[in-house]
Amino acid sequence: MISALVLLCRLVVGGVFVYASLNKLAEPAAFAEAIHHYRLVPYALLHPSAHLLPVVELVAGVSLILGWFRRGGALLCAVMLVIFIAAITSALVRGLDISCGCFNTDAGHGVGLDLLWRDALLLLLCLPPLLVGRPGWSLDRFRRN
Amino acid sequence: MNPSDSAPRSTSWQPASLKEAGLLLLFCLAATAGSWALRPDGLSLRADPTVYQLELAAPLVSLDEALALFEEGDHLFIDTRSEDVAATGIIAGAFFIRESSFDDDLYELFDIMLPEDGLVLYGDGNLSAVSNLATLLLERGYTNLLILESGIAAWQAAGGDVSPGGAP
Repeated sequence: MISALVLLCRLVVGGVFVYASLNKLAEPAAFAEAIHHYRLVPYALLHPSAHLLPVVELVAGVSLILGWFRRGGALLCAVMLVIFIAAITSALVRGLDISCGCFNTDAGHGVGLDLLWRDALLLLLCLPPLLVGRPGWSLDRFRRN
Repeated sequence: MNPSDSAPRSTSWQPASLKEAGLLLLFCLAATAGSWALRPDGLSLRADPTVYQLELAAPLVSLDEALALFEEGDHLFIDTRSEDVAATGIIAGAFFIRESSFDDDLYELFDIMLPEDGLVLYGDGNLSAVSNLATLLLERGYTNLLILESGIAAWQAAGGDVSPGGAP
């Protein structure tokens, strides 16, 4: 039962992160602009962030789906979601009318409370793969601790 | 088959997940560096602020132009940095306005800073943070705004006048 729950959470969170990374990997310049819209990242870190973040999303997502370094992938996804929640909250507080840059860098969903709820839910779904010790249906079963 | 059987089991999630996250992150860094190297026509590592300046709330002013404005004495310089950072030194004669205490700071400058005055805003080089403050000033009717492209360190290195931090 617990293994099935962990697997479901892994597939949902991993799938979302893999999907979210694809457009950003294809359009790094557009993603850099989307990050810039939040007015939180200094120019020195803008392009490095636009290069690195989609790769981390992809790797963490694949890690969760396959169950290879499952806990590390879940932790990375959780940390990213906390950062996303903080950035969206900051944009809402400052009244910024911007696209969230979550899945589509061109004309994505505008920042709003619904995004906060979505990210909070995904953060909750990160907990079972992170906290449950049994590897369950994952490639981690074949690794030596 | 029960997937929980005959499998490695870890009782403490923290060390295992931190170690795994670290390894994944190292892999990501290597993959990012590799993909960047293989795409020479891709996005540069260093962002050019002028490409993004249309996104800023006020036009950028170069260091040389700002030094000239300072010599002319027609513009007021506004330090937007936090109090502890600004304590290390500010542009001579600059006034403080911070996003966190915006209303109080603006009230203190009520008789000194008029909406039509030319203002040069500066920070520590993080233009996004300065632009946020420019947005607040625009909303209050201050429209003659410029944002210094570089931070106080570049100003000091270029020989600009600096005074000790604290009250100007």
